[in-house]
Amino acid sequence: MDRETRLAWLVDHYRRPRHKGTLADADARVPGGNPGCGDLITMYLKDGAVAWEGTGCTLSQAAASILAERVNREHTSFEEILAITPEVWMDLLGREFADARPQCALLALGTLKIAVKTVEMNRKLREAGVDPAMVRGG
Amino acid sequence: MPQTATAVSDIAQRGYAHPEVLVSTEWVQDHLNDPKVRLLESNEDVLLYETGHIPGAVKIDWVTDLNDPLLRDYVDRARLERLLRAKGINKDTTVVFYGDKNNWWATYAFWVFKLFGVENLKLLDGGRLRWVDEGRELVTDAPSYSQGNISVRERDDSKIRAFRAEVQQHVNRNGKLVDVRSPEEYRGERLHMPEYPNEGAVRGGHIPGAKSIPWGRAVTPETHTFKPAAELHTLYESENGLQKTDDVIAYCRIGERSSHTWFALTYLLGFKNVRNYDGSWTEWGNSVRAPIEKP
Repeated sequence: MDRETRLAWLVDHYRRPRHKGTLADADARVPGGNPGCGDLITMYLKDGAVAWEGTGCTLSQAAASILAERVNREHTSFEEILAITPEVWMDLLGREFADARPQCALLALGTLKIAVKTVEMNRKLREAGVDPAMVRGG
Repeated sequence: MPQTATAVSDIAQRGYAHPEVLVSTEWVQDHLNDPKVRLLESNEDVLLYETGHIPGAVKIDWVTDLNDPLLRDYVDRARLERLLRAKGINKDTTVVFYGDKNNWWATYAFWVFKLFGVENLKLLDGGRLRWVDEGRELVTDAPSYSQGNISVRERDDSKIRAFRAEVQQHVNRNGKLVDVRSPEEYRGERLHMPEYPNEGAVRGGHIPGAKSIPWGRAVTPETHTFKPAAELHTLYESENGLQKTDDVIAYCRIGERSSHTWFALTYLLGFKNVRNYDGSWTEWGNSVRAPIEKP
């Protein structure tokens, strides 16, 4: 993908975000942020489906939309999500943009990984007979 | 047709100490084809310039263009000179900065350029947002200029930049400090807000003795332009006890918002000795045994 095509792709995701919204009764709702620059992403996971809400710069919001689209379209497993490295993700978004703002580029991915770990942790707690809400103070 | 705001062009009537450093959208519009004027867009949002910018403007990125890639420091003289020449800037070019976030990064770039003694710098009052609000043209074509011939001096960090040890000395002398972050950051509350899990510092609060004067209080919210000098005088001098002859250090989180306040104090009110502490809270709030005040 050349620079102009990649730029158009990112801007399109920013202007027409995919899977932006909430998921009712989500298995996990995880907020993440780069408050220094005002980027905020909240990831929702429900039965492997992803939705997100957020505000912030073009790159952070486009990255969230691209991530949600890929995970939902390809039914990416939890294991596969956790295996996505920052390098691979920044290559996908385009190093010419991502290298200048790695925190913005990686916010959605990092937040989704925390959501995945949260779901997994809750599952293990339930298997052990523990209510996850009690562990987190309600 | 979308409703657009009218131009704010009363800069000369606002009583600033150095009104010549601030230009209006109309001034920029009138100089779009002036070969001696170069517009530099400096944003937080790394892709914003590409989505549309003022005709003829070139992009400057505070991360990749102004910062050393290895050290937490700015580029050296040779690198800044190469950058400016590549942007087509000559010895007699007037550089006009503008950007998003109420010009945070525009004033930051302005301040960094000043460290190298670059002259003929101006700021677009109200920044990118004002230009957009007035319905003025944005284009996506990146302009190309022939190599410029500007020369810049070695960076001088002694007059308008403060380092941590100097800030500590300043605290010990009861020097004037301005914390331009939000009141929540000043009070050290932000670290505990659930929606802000990572503030980039392990401790919250403020540098002892600092006054809380959020940067945005220098700006008229409706227009994004700077408030008149009389209102700035009330804010900084009457309400917070600063004087034009004071040695003042401003800080925020990484030095961008405080560069906005540095600009207001230095050029709009005529303070003589204002330094920007670019290490700011990400350095102070992470430093072992750095003294912290928290109400």
